[in-house]
Amino acid sequence: MAEENKENIESNNKGNGDIVTLKNLTKRFGDYVVLDEISLGIEKGKTTVVIGPSGCGKTVLIKHLLVLLRPSGGEVYFKGQRIDNLPEQELNKVRMQYGFLFQGGALFDSLSVVGNVTFPIVQHYEITDWKKVEELVASKLAMVGLDGFQNYYPANLSGGQRKRVALARAIALSPEVILYDEPTTGLDPIRSDIINELILKLQRELGVTTVVVTHDMTSAYKIADRIIMLHHGKIIADGDADHIRNHPHPIVQQFINGQVGEDDLAVLRASGTLTQSQFLPRDFKE
Amino acid sequence: MLEELGSKSIISLGNIGRFGRFVWQVMVASSRSCFRVSTYPLVWAQIHAIGVRSVPVIMITGAFVGMTLAIQAYDQLAGMGLEEHLGALINVSVVKELGPVLAAVMLAGRIGGALTAELGTMNVTEQIDAVRSMGTDPVKYLVVPRVLACLLLTPILIIYADLLGILGGYFVSVVQLEINSSAYWNFSASGVELWDVSVGVVKGIFFGGAIATISCYKGFTCREGAHGVGQACTEAFVSSFISILALNFAVDVVAKGIYNTFWTVKSLV
Repeated sequence: MAEENKENIESNNKGNGDIVTLKNLTKRFGDYVVLDEISLGIEKGKTTVVIGPSGCGKTVLIKHLLVLLRPSGGEVYFKGQRIDNLPEQELNKVRMQYGFLFQGGALFDSLSVVGNVTFPIVQHYEITDWKKVEELVASKLAMVGLDGFQNYYPANLSGGQRKRVALARAIALSPEVILYDEPTTGLDPIRSDIINELILKLQRELGVTTVVVTHDMTSAYKIADRIIMLHHGKIIADGDADHIRNHPHPIVQQFINGQVGEDDLAVLRASGTLTQSQFLPRDFKE
Repeated sequence: MLEELGSKSIISLGNIGRFGRFVWQVMVASSRSCFRVSTYPLVWAQIHAIGVRSVPVIMITGAFVGMTLAIQAYDQLAGMGLEEHLGALINVSVVKELGPVLAAVMLAGRIGGALTAELGTMNVTEQIDAVRSMGTDPVKYLVVPRVLACLLLTPILIIYADLLGILGGYFVSVVQLEINSSAYWNFSASGVELWDVSVGVVKGIFFGGAIATISCYKGFTCREGAHGVGQACTEAFVSSFISILALNFAVDVVAKGIYNTFWTVKSLV
């Protein structure tokens, strides 16, 4: 517990170069506490990766960074301005400085690729010269390797292509912060690596601040400047890849090495043998 | 027992409050979007999806309402020797009550279900969150065009239902039941006032608003998964149906009050 608190305090005191800051952020759904007084600073221009087992609150955390979810307690700051208490209309201006890649891409089914990528532009700017917009879309799609797919619909794209189009849409307004929610989930290792390379490329070429939520350790080690691990709503590890690799916390070691814990094994052993639970048609009437 | 009742009451009050807030957001956003040119293409797309494709089904509904009324009312009126009054009875019922209500119920099923399923799927696949993440108000982008299209189109669709109801009633009365055609129209003209038609059309505005708002709200708040979307569609239809009946009653009460107060003064003017 002392170790968790120490990591939390370290996360809080990372310095003044933070573009997004969370102070004592708590999120409850009913009686269930998902995030428990998390304090964290996201350093400008760096790639921060949040890891943790499924259901530990990674997505909930990333959605708080642009206040897609309102916290139950604590504060969220963007460039020093408190944003968790802003009305939706003012928040929309702040959100324009973020790009968000959702886990499934969240492309609009009814719009083509070009419709999806131009969506944020059309929503916020009056378009007088469509040719310029087309050029912009082509350049954004070229960045993700999909120029020429303008007239395709999401239903005609593969999972990896959908994520890349979603990424092109996320960078359409040239945001300062790009948030990725499980960008490699559901992709084969090669497609996953393409996404990793894209994240690095965008970070390198656009100089954006990147926050990635993942449980893919290969991806985390490849792209991260800093890795944070969440467990039971708290930060239990915070540091660079080497720090995480050598972290003494057993839960961190168990997670990064992909090993099942003794507690889980005990549950599996206690639940009976396979022969006991086998379905035998002779025991049932047809 | 008391605890359960209390917790259910709190949940219900919370739901009513959330729906009230949603309605308020829709009203504010709709009134602002009415004067914004960028909204018109979105409304136009919905007009096509909601209105144009609903015309055949609405016309069929109206025609059967008129025909059924003629069949049902004929025996009762003929028993009193008043069969030539059938036109007045059918047409008042069609334009004022049954036409608007049954057309709205049909729209609640056709449009309401589609709106809830579409927005519900967008909700569970994080598309609504995606709209918000790009700094766009999802109520303004997704709900307002649908509500405006329903507000505009439901009265027009009701007029179509009325027309076919009148024609259906005429067909059965004159062709099948052999009532004198000129007597049918004369009694219809004397029985149906402009006021009756207007009340029916005005009801369409309320019904359209209710169907669109309830269906969009259910889509926005639907639970995860296929079961969640299916349940939201069912709830949207049931809530819209009850709202249509309640609004029909409320508009009738108000219209009767207005009629009794002002319409009789018309002859003096």
